[in-house]
Amino acid sequence: MVVLRKIIVQQKILLVFLLLLSALFIDTGFSASATENPMDQLQVAVDEILKILQSEELKEPEKKEERNQLVLNIVTDMFDFREMARSSLGQSWNTLTPEEKDTFVELFTTLVEQRYIGKIDSYNNQKVIYKKQLVKGDKAMVYTAIVDKDLEIPIVYRLEKNNGKWLINDLKIENVSLIVNYRRDFDSIIRKEQFAGLVEKISKQLEK
Amino acid sequence: MKRNLSIQAGFIFLLLFTAGHIWAGDAAGSSAASEPLLASGQAADNSSTVDAWTEEEWEGEWDDEWGPSDAIADPLEPLNRFFFHFNDKLYYWVLKPVARVYAGFFPDEMQIAIRNFFDNLRTPARAVSCLLQGRVKDSSEEVARFALNSTVGIVGLGDFAKDVLGLYSSEEDLGQTLAHYGAGGGFYINWPFLGPSNFRDSLGMLGDAYMHPIILLDADWEVTIGAWTFEKVNYTALTLGDYELFTKTALDPYAAVKDAYQQFRKGLIENK
Repeated sequence: MVVLRKIIVQQKILLVFLLLLSALFIDTGFSASATENPMDQLQVAVDEILKILQSEELKEPEKKEERNQLVLNIVTDMFDFREMARSSLGQSWNTLTPEEKDTFVELFTTLVEQRYIGKIDSYNNQKVIYKKQLVKGDKAMVYTAIVDKDLEIPIVYRLEKNNGKWLINDLKIENVSLIVNYRRDFDSIIRKEQFAGLVEKISKQLEK
Repeated sequence: MKRNLSIQAGFIFLLLFTAGHIWAGDAAGSSAASEPLLASGQAADNSSTVDAWTEEEWEGEWDDEWGPSDAIADPLEPLNRFFFHFNDKLYYWVLKPVARVYAGFFPDEMQIAIRNFFDNLRTPARAVSCLLQGRVKDSSEEVARFALNSTVGIVGLGDFAKDVLGLYSSEEDLGQTLAHYGAGGGFYINWPFLGPSNFRDSLGMLGDAYMHPIILLDADWEVTIGAWTFEKVNYTALTLGDYELFTKTALDPYAAVKDAYQQFRKGLIENK
């Protein structure tokens, strides 16, 4: 009971604090994100991934599958893959049937996951720095960097709030946007081989 | 002697070329200079808190910065694709095996030191580019970096200026300087050995090369190529796996690399 009361008091203090803050920042879009700001949410998820990657037990070669799956579980929760797939196709998305859309989202998700997992395999205790966040209503950008071999590699996340949760819909590594890059890449295939050719190419790529 | 003369001629041409634009750019430069100051002041105040932007700033950043810009012209595509393929094979058959052996002998710390060494040699060119863009402070920081890292940093192997004094490299080059004065990128060029570039940045690369100590000291071409190869191997050793991952999770690696180059350069030009 004491514990419960303590929690209630803490919550009340927090609530008052948040109300004060939102009163202060009401014009600046701060209030919308006061409950949970995107940078904190991102950091929690990334910390979880880092914990998995740093676990000595999971570093064993036979645990590789398990480790990748654990990471992917978190990653799936962080990204809005459907939105990413949609914007990576640009105009072409609107010409697809619902079934084609679902197929494409699935293929696209696996493609991005593969790139992510590949990066993870080379993880070697790199540090992540959180620099700043820009929030406006349901939109946010979080500026981070990874320190790799004494070099700071800037990574900017673009997030949108969906059902109270911040989801990543693009990221820029050294100013190169993942989605813009895929859009150009896909465009170059669609122009020659249409959507069917694109699906075939991605499926083939994923088999490798 | 003859080569020296052509170097000087090229350099003078470049200076004249850019000098003509400096006056025109000055007015724009002074108003632009006050913005970064403001921006950095804001960042310092609100670091790790939530920044608020005005509507316009936000819309610009949210939509324009994350959407595709105009595709780069590629009239040489067949030739570019040929050299892309050539560089790809060069990577897998030569560069990668060599870099792996190299990485086996030299630990990371050594590779980083060697990268610093080569990076330090590019400082004079960076200092000139900063100056040409009217960024006097950045230019003097580059000079300070060069002086410190060449001495206290032991011929540039350590980055004393960054690690101890927090003086960061400006990452400028002549290609960016030309862009600063309004030059567009021109068409895409995928050079053999050198990789992705465009017309403007290729000119810039040539100019930067003339400010490289190894050229200024008029070293034999064998030495120049040897040094360049060494730098390339060292860089490959430091980034083993990156190229493979990027090209293998792209469908048309040529198109993906072309776009990545364009986006990367845009970021540098805008000093993001």
